[in-house]
Amino acid sequence: MSKKDNRSISAALAMATCSLLGSGIPAPVDAQEEPEWDFNTSLLYYGEDGDRVKDYSVKAIARRMFVDDRVLSLSMTVDSLTGATPNGAIRQDTAQTFTRPSGNAAYDVQSGVLPLDDTFLDTRVALTANWQQPVGETSLVNVGASASKEYDYTHFGVNAKIARDFNKRNTTLAAGIALSIDSLDPVGGAPAPLTPMLDVGDTSNRIGNQDKDVLDVVLGVTQVVNRNLVVQANYSYSKSDGYLTDPYKVLSIVDGTTGDTLLRTPTPGVEGPSHQVLFESRPGDRTKHSVYTQAKYYMNGKVLDASYRYMTDDWEIDSHTVDLRYRWPVGEDRYIEPHLRLYTQSEAEFYRLSLVDSDPLPVFASADYRLGNFDAVTAGAKYGWKTSNDNDMSVRLEWYRQSGSVPAAQVVGNQATRDNYPDLNAVILQFSYRF
Amino acid sequence: MGSPCELVCEALERRAAHELSSIVAAEAWRIEDKFSRYLDGNIVDAINSAGGRPVEVDDETAQLLDFAVTLYELSERRFDITSGVLRQAWHFDGSDRVPADSRVQAVLELVGWHRVAWQRPLLQMPRGMEIDLGGIAKEYAVDRCAALLREQGGGPCLVNFGGDLAVTEPPAQRVRWKVAIEGERDGEADRIVDLKQGALATSGDARRFLLKNGVRYSHILDPTTGWPVPDAPRSVTVAADTCTQAGMISTLAMLEGAGAEAFLDAQAVTSWCRR
Repeated sequence: MSKKDNRSISAALAMATCSLLGSGIPAPVDAQEEPEWDFNTSLLYYGEDGDRVKDYSVKAIARRMFVDDRVLSLSMTVDSLTGATPNGAIRQDTAQTFTRPSGNAAYDVQSGVLPLDDTFLDTRVALTANWQQPVGETSLVNVGASASKEYDYTHFGVNAKIARDFNKRNTTLAAGIALSIDSLDPVGGAPAPLTPMLDVGDTSNRIGNQDKDVLDVVLGVTQVVNRNLVVQANYSYSKSDGYLTDPYKVLSIVDGTTGDTLLRTPTPGVEGPSHQVLFESRPGDRTKHSVYTQAKYYMNGKVLDASYRYMTDDWEIDSHTVDLRYRWPVGEDRYIEPHLRLYTQSEAEFYRLSLVDSDPLPVFASADYRLGNFDAVTAGAKYGWKTSNDNDMSVRLEWYRQSGSVPAAQVVGNQATRDNYPDLNAVILQFSYRF
Repeated sequence: MGSPCELVCEALERRAAHELSSIVAAEAWRIEDKFSRYLDGNIVDAINSAGGRPVEVDDETAQLLDFAVTLYELSERRFDITSGVLRQAWHFDGSDRVPADSRVQAVLELVGWHRVAWQRPLLQMPRGMEIDLGGIAKEYAVDRCAALLREQGGGPCLVNFGGDLAVTEPPAQRVRWKVAIEGERDGEADRIVDLKQGALATSGDARRFLLKNGVRYSHILDPTTGWPVPDAPRSVTVAADTCTQAGMISTLAMLEGAGAEAFLDAQAVTSWCRR
């Protein structure tokens, strides 16, 4: 056939259909084959105030949807970190000199200033791959692998998760396990725990590369309560073994009366630390238990997402996290989502502001502010919209504020006049585009 | 309809969902009862057993017959509602039982809309000829049900009769309906189509064919020759404003055989052709 103009066939058919079905011809067709891949990309800026850490992070997630709910996800993240972090030593009323982690040079810190190590500069590349697949009518299995590399740290991990629906798909039970094998190759070699920071060029206390393994297990239940409410509860267990110490963190050795750091004289003609500091020491294992509960409540297009996490570990850190998000549609395809996160933790049992010279040396000690007693608030909002070609775009702006304190019993002499746990402020800005 | 019929709706209340499904079920049964060639006592049976006498038909039947005439003309006689009797010669059961041409030509004597006198509302055709509206009725039923659901204000609904389907409006929460098109094997999807508005229909059935001496005979018969259309695609899926249009374009594409893709391209429709 088709000596006829083919287009006239469509037109004639449309007319014939119109007279067959009468009026009430619906809106024109809008159909497309589901794209095989979709991509989620984001650009994140995290900046702490002052000279502290800045992170520019680019992330891309590619998902290939196969029919029958099988999904392959691949992701790549590149982080570029710059800035300085506290090295653990306390402020002094005099200038201080420290040997760099590499052992090849020294750096100075002004009097009254929190000692920051500014050699912190790194690029991190992380890759993940995940495969999800239904098993039977009601189960979903997910297996994955991850790897990341930065100049002093390599990570490999595998994970698996199974979820099964019950009760007309209103209840889902899930169990997951993840194993990670990490190796640390600190600049200049890892220092032996609780050994002094040495002069430039002296590597006699370096013990070389280290590694650690982490096992995570999670058990969870998700319950659809009614058509507006979904709740979830998880228990997670995490066990880390190996080198958990931060090879770049030190503690100041102080006089038991004044609280000032003891002076030290470098070998003549060689640069070296001006004060006595020891590299920190953490236990070789850590066991964490956490319980997480979440509720998502849908009301007329708005969604309230509230969660609470309690974590406790055998380092005696207990933490509580409350996270609230409220997604508020603005018109047809825009939304605004305010976010508030409150966090509090107690300090690790071996957290020390400094070590008193006359006291016996503890087995474990760290002045890392992240192991201290602190509260943190994250507040901000995300604004999202659909682009003209049906893709999702969003921008998120958040502020982070952390303030902590040192137990009064640990504050010695002149330390009482100094800010021993300075506040940390950061801003987070993220653009996301999904296509 | 000879296939599973389903309604997917976004009704929030059980009662509303029940009401909508009752509307669809009632309309599907009504059309089935009225136009199935397998049932006694309906209008198709009256026409097919008239023994050469004229039969007066109602408006709806007349509309369908007029529509069939348009397709007959558009397809240059290859879409023909009288071609069903060719099934007396052809049994597409996956075997190698290809009939003798003499047998096919004998049956072909009873095929051809040009032998029918159709003057609305009267239809008269020679004794032994039969009409079969099965090639139109399912798509028509899908569109009728979708129209009734729209009239009812039923919200976002998807009416699916054995893979021929139409939606009433985009789903409220997800932007698009996700429709899996079944592939060669049962229950295994070949591709996923995102449907915001409109309809999809698929012609062709991978399981209905004959295979002899390495030649595959598709069940798409050309009523002008009495033989299967050579090189017909395994299946053709078309998206269109209505299920009826989608179904007819996919059927016409199948009848084009090797030219199916070119035909579909020229129609400027969204379509998928599987060989």
